[in-house]
Amino acid sequence: MAETSPTVTLNEPGAFEPLHAEQRAQVLSRPSLSYWQDAWIRLKANRRALGSLYIIIALLLFTVVGPFVWQVDPAAQDLDQISTPPGASRAATLVGPLQPWDGSTLEPDRPGLHLAEPATTQSVRLLWDPWPEAYGYRVYRNIFPVAPGEALGLPMGDTFARDQTRFEDRLDLQPRTYYYTVVALDTYGEELDRQESLEVTPNRVITIDDALARGLIAPADDRQVGDSVRLALHPLGTDYLGRDMLARLMHGARVSLFIGIAAPFLFVLFGVVYGSTAGFLGGHVDQALMRFADFVIALPFLLFMILFKIAFGIGPGESGIMPMVVAMVVLLWPATARLVRGQILQVREEGYVSAARLLGAPTGYLVMRHMIPNTMGVILVTLTFAVPSAIFTEAFLSFIGMGVAPPTPSWGSMCNEGIKTMLTYPHELIFPALLISITVLAFNLLGDGLRDALDARMRSRE
Amino acid sequence: MSQPLLEVSDLRVEFDTYGGTVQAVRGVSFAVEPGKTLAIVGESGCGKSVTVQSIMGLTPMPPGRIRTGSARLRGVEILGRTEIDGRDIRGREIGMIFQDPMSSLNPTMTIGTQIAETLEVHWGWSRKRAFDRAVELLGMARIPEAARRARQYPFEFSGGMLQRAMIAMSIACEPAILVADEPTTALDVTIQAQILDLMGDLQRDTGMAIILITHDLGVVARMADEVAVMYAGQIVEQGSVDDVFYRSAHPYTLGLKAAMPSNEPDAEGKHKLLPIEGSPPDLFHPPVGCAYAARCPHAMRICQDQDPAAFFQSEHHFARCWLHHETAPRVEGLHRGAAARQPEASA
Amino acid sequence: MWRYTVRRLIQGIITVWFIATATFFAMHSVPGDPLTQDRAVTADIRANLEAKYGLDKPLGQQYLIFLGNLTRGDFGISFTQKNREVNDIIREHFPVSATLGILAIVFAGLGGVLWGALTALYRNRLPDVVIMFLVILGISVPSFVFAALGQLALVNLNDLLGVSLLPVAGWGTVWHMLVPSLVLGLGTMAYLTRLMRSSMLEIVNADYIRTAKAKGLPPTRIFSRHQLRNAILPVITVLGPSIAAITTGGFVVELVFAIPGLGRYFVQAVQQLDYTVIMGTTVFYGAFLVLMVIVVDLLYGVVDPRVRLE
Repeated sequence: MAETSPTVTLNEPGAFEPLHAEQRAQVLSRPSLSYWQDAWIRLKANRRALGSLYIIIALLLFTVVGPFVWQVDPAAQDLDQISTPPGASRAATLVGPLQPWDGSTLEPDRPGLHLAEPATTQSVRLLWDPWPEAYGYRVYRNIFPVAPGEALGLPMGDTFARDQTRFEDRLDLQPRTYYYTVVALDTYGEELDRQESLEVTPNRVITIDDALARGLIAPADDRQVGDSVRLALHPLGTDYLGRDMLARLMHGARVSLFIGIAAPFLFVLFGVVYGSTAGFLGGHVDQALMRFADFVIALPFLLFMILFKIAFGIGPGESGIMPMVVAMVVLLWPATARLVRGQILQVREEGYVSAARLLGAPTGYLVMRHMIPNTMGVILVTLTFAVPSAIFTEAFLSFIGMGVAPPTPSWGSMCNEGIKTMLTYPHELIFPALLISITVLAFNLLGDGLRDALDARMRSRE
Repeated sequence: MSQPLLEVSDLRVEFDTYGGTVQAVRGVSFAVEPGKTLAIVGESGCGKSVTVQSIMGLTPMPPGRIRTGSARLRGVEILGRTEIDGRDIRGREIGMIFQDPMSSLNPTMTIGTQIAETLEVHWGWSRKRAFDRAVELLGMARIPEAARRARQYPFEFSGGMLQRAMIAMSIACEPAILVADEPTTALDVTIQAQILDLMGDLQRDTGMAIILITHDLGVVARMADEVAVMYAGQIVEQGSVDDVFYRSAHPYTLGLKAAMPSNEPDAEGKHKLLPIEGSPPDLFHPPVGCAYAARCPHAMRICQDQDPAAFFQSEHHFARCWLHHETAPRVEGLHRGAAARQPEASA
Repeated sequence: MWRYTVRRLIQGIITVWFIATATFFAMHSVPGDPLTQDRAVTADIRANLEAKYGLDKPLGQQYLIFLGNLTRGDFGISFTQKNREVNDIIREHFPVSATLGILAIVFAGLGGVLWGALTALYRNRLPDVVIMFLVILGISVPSFVFAALGQLALVNLNDLLGVSLLPVAGWGTVWHMLVPSLVLGLGTMAYLTRLMRSSMLEIVNADYIRTAKAKGLPPTRIFSRHQLRNAILPVITVLGPSIAAITTGGFVVELVFAIPGLGRYFVQAVQQLDYTVIMGTTVFYGAFLVLMVIVVDLLYGVVDPRVRLE
């Protein structure tokens, strides 16, 4: 004030002349903002909400555009790479067809438990010396180092003579470390104390025929046994059936986000119509409608979700997505209806609405001008918070095997599959769980931001 | 002149909001004498509540901020710490009551307990003794069946009763000053008079000073000894109640008076209420000159460009208005003191 | 108070009756029945079985019989677990689920109030930021992931220490309950923490807190006597619905931690359309939930005098 040089000074002639209307300075006032403009400015200022909005857009791109960029069939199995974590080596050596084993060994003089030839994912061939006390042997395979007192792992097979001292394992071999244990058996097939363990890491191999069939090499390439090839790329690894995780996550996103957005949209819409009808009509209609809503709220959600699923009778080839959406809409609308009704009742009692009504405003005008703008914020926020809870519900139901039917991927059903192999292949659980969490997080933060931006009370307080 | 009980000088308070910084109080000074009532008058948003709440340390900081100023209680600075010798002066030296008694009391605690709390904290009384005194205080505040009422919760009281309870609470420790922030605004007209009477009687009995915040000139006329008229964060006129009412020296005071219902007919024999046109300036960007210039019917060229200083009409009566400058034209109805002078200090 | 309690109980009984009726007819409208679940039976045997279980009567009559039995507290015999009374199943497995759920709600409630109050006290400072980050995680991570992670953590912890500190699965001792109920309560705890925080922050601006400051009360007293108690009120109101959410979550936790609760029987019964078990567990759960909500509401009355005296 003092630092700005005044244009009129005390000693200036005419300083004390009355001001004429046109000489008066325009009163500085802030430009008035509409409700939505103001809300948008507040939302933009909220970094977390804005970040969430970008995340949601990215998720939608991942879902819609992703499958066009990453054109891998989510149902196709890559049997060479089962339960492969992301970033695993893709190198494989070409081999010929598997030859039967006649017991020959490359290391005839070696004592103790050893490999007859280098271990491959085709076969692991174990040899050991006969033990005098044994009348047979049992072979175990474990994925953890064998510790005293701990389980030995998967029993692979028994032999029934002291001199049957070889074993060939061809069961679902992966290029990872296995711990084989041979235990001596007595005449009754009971385990004796003597045992011996061996750590084996098979090399990944692929037969030339397979490589040709999968398009890894072309016939013209003229590759030989022993050459190395690179297997198909799976950026996020594969699941327990060798299906590409990325492709499944993208297609699963379609299912999860479809349910997560379509169901809330529908039940919020129904709730809004129902609640505003009750609130607007009032009286006995309102009482009757709300009593019914109360009863629907009281229904055991899980039971009815499952009953719906059974009632719809999901046949083979059906995904079970629509029954789930329908069940959610039928069971979840009352919360919104209550909220909207309360809001409508509140707005109806406001002075400005009474005033408008006294001035003879038609009902349509009241609804358009006062009811909808004053409930829109609440509805929008409800919708935003309904999305994560619907995604949760889908995940939860699919997780307990009551949701989306396999083989249709959804994030929840992927979690369900992933949790079985959680200890050994955590990536099968982590990726879908992560996506669920990020999506829910983003919608929650966006909902928070929207609520803060739309809440008029907050505005006056700050 | 004896030392004033409370002396506030050049208080400036700002608020940071997402729309910018609001200069809510822009250099307010006043003094309160023992046993006297100072009324601070002004329309909503003029900074009158912020002024006392800042002194009482009730302004949330942030977003609030005290730029400058001082507030001395018996000569001891209390601004920004609200304590003397490590003991809180609030409730003990200065009691306070608020506009909305319905929301100003804790809904989950009995009235008696809430009053007794003050005595427990400040005077270290036992719970029993403090509660008994609370019952007495409620009786002093003319609440019938005080002993039973003290055990009730706020929701069982009417608005007027709650305000009495608030008053009982605020005077529990016999403070030297009672700050009443719009104490009657939320109440029925008939209750208003009773509350004001109660405050007046208690003042006579205890000799406490009252700072009364209000927008109601009727309340001012009834209660006040001294009046400060606030506009856009500044005191634009201050003086004794007679000075301000009968020798109004600021166009805004004139405007307020014209907007007040009265029994006296105007020159044309009509009872007319004249609103003040326009709205107060935006305190995000306070005007360079006089804040009232945009609404003032007598605005002059200088008013827009230079902030008027305080022109003293008499020793204790001043107005911030260029119309008191010697070269300014005369305005009908505006008192112009014979010895109108501009003090050197407040240019 | 008594009249209120009685009124709520009557309302609760009506709600349970409604749930029972809706479930009964919804269940019977689903194609198939418990007799055709595992094997094909001849028409004769089928007729005998139907007569034995009363399935040959008209649906309306079956419903009346069911209601009659219900008033005597008799849910009948399970279809799929031969000769096992539904009451026995409930008696054996419900205490497990209830213990798990109540422990979880205690964890969630105490944790929510504690963390919520803490974040509000340290608003926008490090403890607030850290706790709120965890809370957002807690709200955004599905319960089954927590369950899986909890189990994984237990396995690793036991591995690391070389001793079995806490059992990884199963039921029986307090040690079995600890991790599952914590996992189960985690989501609700996060939700309650958020609620408590916003409630605390709203109350900071309340007029009566300003009054308390104007009375010169020390901040600790304002916090404990004025802020905390009022801030807990909204937390208590949502405790009732939270119990329902925790019950649902309980199924997953029971599944992952191999806990012999009622949840697994329930899911299994619905899949096999075991009428009597479905009705028994549903009505029992429904009654339990309704009762818990009433208890919570009565508790609310103890804390909030405005409700108490109505």
